[in-house]
Amino acid sequence: MLYQRYIEIGRVCYIRLGEHAGKTCVVVDMVDQKHLLVDGPMSGVPRSTIRLNQVAITDLKIAIPRGCKTNKVRVELTKADISTKFAKTSLSKKAEAKKDKAGLGDFERFKLRVAKTT
Amino acid sequence: MRFKCAELKEFQIVGKPLSKTNEKTPIYKMRIFAPDEVVAKSRFWYFLRQLKKVRKVNGEILRLTEVSEKSPTKIKNFGIWVRYDSRSGSHNMYREYRDVMTTGAVTQCYRDMAARHRARAHSIQIMKVAEVKASDCRRSTVQQMHNSKIKFPLPHRILKYNKKSIFVAERPSTMQ
Repeated sequence: MLYQRYIEIGRVCYIRLGEHAGKTCVVVDMVDQKHLLVDGPMSGVPRSTIRLNQVAITDLKIAIPRGCKTNKVRVELTKADISTKFAKTSLSKKAEAKKDKAGLGDFERFKLRVAKTT
Repeated sequence: MRFKCAELKEFQIVGKPLSKTNEKTPIYKMRIFAPDEVVAKSRFWYFLRQLKKVRKVNGEILRLTEVSEKSPTKIKNFGIWVRYDSRSGSHNMYREYRDVMTTGAVTQCYRDMAARHRARAHSIQIMKVAEVKASDCRRSTVQQMHNSKIKFPLPHRILKYNKKSIFVAERPSTMQ
């Protein structure tokens, strides 16, 4: 298959930009070619519309019917254990590493620089 | 009439002509899409003046309420009947939009009319907005989303580059 990841109902997405940046959500429905209806009951994303360019697609997918209720999404997410599976993905690890790097103080950055040169 | 860049709001405005003698006058209700209450009231009198022999001076607004969306998390197909003035005449149109809120669909309509027909807000009149069933939709751009197993990849995805990486050694990957 040329394309592995599709935007489809049940696809787990990572929100790159916007109010809920850094959280994961599930595609519940599609408004049009540029907007999705997403829901993230486990990650604190309320059921809302989001632009496609705010989102990055992950490899994870759950089986939900189109437009299903938030409760069903929550049940399917826990059944598939998406939170632990997502933590293992490279996207999640990179996001964590970026957050750690941003949280470094001046001394930590010095220590990092020293560690890189030795 | 200047429309602000935010989404429009839906107002229900009820007004009636004042009577000099204390006799009952008919009461009129309108569904107005406007950015705020001030513009909403203005548009109410604009339309009412066109339809009935009432002017703002001789009338009063009984009620102005903002209407909130009944189901803001359900995607709906909206049919919008528009009348607009082009450079050479006045035309009627039927347009379809997919959105979660009525106000979102109407806002899309105004943006779309401006883009496709160079119609400014003051020359557009929204005659009717109604939710349309999927089977009754007429526009292919709306019908193409009516697939319960809809899926599409994001081929050749170009995301907004940060200014640090305008010139890079290797061609960036556009695989999502």
